[in-house]
Amino acid sequence: MTGNRFVTQALGEYTLAGLANCSAEIVKTARPVNLNLFSIKWPVTALVSIAHRISGVLLFLAMPLLLYLFELSLSSEAGFRRAGAMLASPMPRLVGWLLAVALLYHLIAGCRHLLMDMGFGETWRGGKAGARTVIAISVLGAILAGILLW
Amino acid sequence: MSQVLVSIYRYNPEQDSKPRMQSLAVDVPGDRDLMVLDVLELAKAKDPSITYRRSCREGVCGSDGMNINGVNGLACITPLTKAAGPARKLVLRPLPGLPVIRDLVVDLSQFYEQFEKIRPWLINDEPPPPAERLQSPDERAKLDGLYECILCACCTTSCPSFWWNPDKFVGPAGLLQSYRFLADSRDAATAERLAELDDPFSVFRCRGIMNCVSVCPKGLNPTRAIGKIRNMLVERGT
Repeated sequence: MTGNRFVTQALGEYTLAGLANCSAEIVKTARPVNLNLFSIKWPVTALVSIAHRISGVLLFLAMPLLLYLFELSLSSEAGFRRAGAMLASPMPRLVGWLLAVALLYHLIAGCRHLLMDMGFGETWRGGKAGARTVIAISVLGAILAGILLW
Repeated sequence: MSQVLVSIYRYNPEQDSKPRMQSLAVDVPGDRDLMVLDVLELAKAKDPSITYRRSCREGVCGSDGMNINGVNGLACITPLTKAAGPARKLVLRPLPGLPVIRDLVVDLSQFYEQFEKIRPWLINDEPPPPAERLQSPDERAKLDGLYECILCACCTTSCPSFWWNPDKFVGPAGLLQSYRFLADSRDAATAERLAELDDPFSVFRCRGIMNCVSVCPKGLNPTRAIGKIRNMLVERGT
């Protein structure tokens, strides 16, 4: 008898708690969230971080193309010339330059990550200086790659 | 007297289906600088329905954290001139990434849940000595830059890793407090605390973006504390 009452009570509580949870869930999802990324001011460290990710995605997406060109250039002497000819026209050359810049940037920003993992540049001042250094080296590298390509 | 244009995020769940921005011209004294909270009070005098949290008005209680011209901060200790600049325009939005209850008031439940997860109290089962548990000055110095956190949530709500995983990533404020107890010579639960953090999300979602460090009104550095935890986890053999 008492056992039964206990079960009924427990069940009642359980359902009530469940209902409360449900309504809390509904209220929560109905509430707006302020997450307009354009209304937020990004410090240089955040820009370097998101650019690191974007350059990584870009390189990943370009991999089939690069592998195809690599394979073609290794297939034969004629293949090597064909791959060279493909990269000679202005548009593919621009794409090649962009990918080279992405690779360079991704590499340098990655090295900054490694340095930070070792405890360098973890202060706010150091973090900003590191981020600015990554940008400076990448811009220089981009110009150098451009000069080499054209 | 001079004028400041204040744009405020407004949302009243009983009236609005979605949030909107309200613009108000507020007269401020021209001879001295005000804090953003003072301007907000002047705006509230014009429109009493504007809702926000505030208490101590001197950067100690941490209740008036909000997004001021795109940067999280405490309204009470952010000078108007610094926030608005020469344009004299103030944009006030609630802390990003958390559900808005009304206007500038957000639901901090997820933030507190993560804080609770790290067990923010001293764990030591040994019987306490008659007077107190002693620390050397060097041991005590390790807690500097950690214990000062006022839990205003400015850092955690500026963190993209927290926005995308508020239920799994502990976030900068929680991790700073976690390290505060990991670094405490009197705490005896270091191994258990580390074991609780040893998964791909709790700590390792930090990408070193440093938004947290850039906004902390107390000048604390969660990125460095997270780095220290990461090193402890690696040394432990993750």
